[in-house]
Amino acid sequence: MYRYDQIDQTLVEERVAQFRDQTRRFLAGTLSEDEFRPLRLRNGLYIQRFAPMLRVSIPYGLLSSRQLRMLGSIARRYDRGFGHFTTRQNIQYNWPELEQVPDILADLATVQMHAIQTSGNCIRNITSDHLAGVAPDEIVDPRPYCEIIRQWATLHPEFSYLPRKFKIAVTASAHDRAASEVHDVGVHLKRGADGALGYEILAGGGLGRTPIIGQVIRDYLPQAELLGYLEAILRVYNRHGRRDNIHKARIKILVRALGVQEFRRQVEEEFEANREVAPQLPAAEVARMRAFFEPPAYERLDDIPETSGPGARTASLAPYQAWYRYNTRAHRVSGYRIVFVSLKKHGAAPGDITAAQMEALADLADRYSFGMLRATHDQNLVLADVPQRVLGELWQALEGLELATPNIGTLTDMICCPGLDFCSLANAGSIPIAKQIHARFDDLDYLYDLGPIEIKMSGCMNACGHHHIGHIGILGVDKHGKEWYQITIGGSAAAPAALGEVIGPSVPKEAVADTIAKLLDVYIEERQDEHERFLDTVRRIGVEPFQERVYETDHSPA
Amino acid sequence: MRQIIRRRDIVEDELRYPGEPSTAGSVDVHSASEWIAAAVAGSAPGPGAVLLTATDEAEALAEHLAPLRWIVIDFAKIGEGRGYSQARLLRQRYHYARELRARGAIKRDQLFFLARCGFDAFDLDPAEDLIAALGALGTFSVAYQGGSDTLVQVRRRLPDAAA
Repeated sequence: MYRYDQIDQTLVEERVAQFRDQTRRFLAGTLSEDEFRPLRLRNGLYIQRFAPMLRVSIPYGLLSSRQLRMLGSIARRYDRGFGHFTTRQNIQYNWPELEQVPDILADLATVQMHAIQTSGNCIRNITSDHLAGVAPDEIVDPRPYCEIIRQWATLHPEFSYLPRKFKIAVTASAHDRAASEVHDVGVHLKRGADGALGYEILAGGGLGRTPIIGQVIRDYLPQAELLGYLEAILRVYNRHGRRDNIHKARIKILVRALGVQEFRRQVEEEFEANREVAPQLPAAEVARMRAFFEPPAYERLDDIPETSGPGARTASLAPYQAWYRYNTRAHRVSGYRIVFVSLKKHGAAPGDITAAQMEALADLADRYSFGMLRATHDQNLVLADVPQRVLGELWQALEGLELATPNIGTLTDMICCPGLDFCSLANAGSIPIAKQIHARFDDLDYLYDLGPIEIKMSGCMNACGHHHIGHIGILGVDKHGKEWYQITIGGSAAAPAALGEVIGPSVPKEAVADTIAKLLDVYIEERQDEHERFLDTVRRIGVEPFQERVYETDHSPA
Repeated sequence: MRQIIRRRDIVEDELRYPGEPSTAGSVDVHSASEWIAAAVAGSAPGPGAVLLTATDEAEALAEHLAPLRWIVIDFAKIGEGRGYSQARLLRQRYHYARELRARGAIKRDQLFFLARCGFDAFDLDPAEDLIAALGALGTFSVAYQGGSDTLVQVRRRLPDAAA
């Protein structure tokens, strides 16, 4: 992983000192709430329903065991003993004291972490593929490019007061695991006609109350020109993005208003005009960054067929097999396997993890996966480089920590925002709905029969839970002070990204799981075979059969 | 008398913004449209001072920069960010080298970024402590990006393209 040098370390320490002074001035009354708000947000600090919420940046989701131990220690010392992994590969603490936040940031700086630009109208954490570096289908490791963009974006003097937040995702695989098409900018590593590395650039995607799929604005950009091109996009946006209406201030609205052709023309014109002074990305810098992301020292191992693996000897077979099948994935190096750590246990809020779990998991990462972990967009964690011969031991350890629920990719591997339980923006609860769905669909055999289904849930139209791109999306709405839920189906984060279609009027809180059960009944009846996913069935037959089933009783005369 | 930060000093301001009464020795600041119209008509008064609002285009001034001694960029609201790009364009693309002043809803917290974008004078929120604000020019000793710095010095790992 990237390791800070003196410049990086000095920068985070100076940022801590700056924020400590800003907090002191706010508490002393010399900064008003209106003045302090944009300053604290730029450092990930929200004032929520009950307490401040601090969002800590995990650049492109990559964590060392040492960093995870510190996150656990922070949860223990400054919070109520847990943290919450988000849909953008970050972690949030829901109960810190404002006065202690500078100390938390100082602790984070000791392990090369920070909360810079995790909120506010600026360039946010760069996200990427959680399988970067181990994915069998990637053309190059995207993480060096993520780190290059992270540094360029960090405390950028020109782009720190944008019209609205700005999210960049970088991928290098045919299979998009980073939802890059619904980001303000998507950067896709690709090879040009001559085989040279470069990028396809998308712009104008986003979720929120106006979900839009991003469009390609540059088919191929040479490797060295990445930062100059991003600078051109940001400058056009910073100057011409709307600032009069917070709901129309994202770049997607600008791209839509101008039309993609005109937006592209303006970006290209700015790019050309700025060429002489634009930041360059020399090949030597790319090489320097790549060196930080070299593969770990893999042993020469042979693949072990699953049934003859150690799990079969040391553990009761069926649960281990289920875990192996659902929570592990093929690795591109023989003898290794990718392990997902499920943060979707029944009864817990999706993405929640305790301090004790973090500390134990850090130890497991040291013992079994080169001391590294990744946070995923689906609010789980990944141990990416596990020798197959230790899978049985690892499974037992994860079972003991309640981190082995064999449900990755299934219906109960839901993602959800903090919702009404924590967030002051929310219209409705998300976590109670997650629990309702968990309780209703607790039969693993049924879940496995359903195959891969992504449920994504947001407590309001700001869409932190990405409901638009869930195979099943659930959006909390407020109706006369009561919590109701609008259901969409057919959304997808993976290419081709798609926005779900609303099936009809929203349903009351107590009917959400029943409604989903009806959708699933239609799927089971209509699917061509067990290999046709829920999403594919929706795409093939459309939403009508689902609508008819859900609302059939509504058609009876009143 | 209004005090401003000019480079690393606190000085009394000789400029009078649109709507403010002139005094002996003061210099009136013109709106961008006024200045451009006068320049096109060949009657631009000197020594010139212009106020750019967030919606004025820096490009429009490009051909009329020579007689200008002051450009003031207005930050009307907390969080206004267009002036940072205007400043970069004036300094980098149009090579404007005289005073570039930020004024309005800005405090010490924005000073470092403003200076890195090429501002060298600051008419801050009246409530701000100017001595403390001067200290903010040293908030960071390092940076990842190139800048139009004349006021702050930072260590960087990568040189600018033009360097």
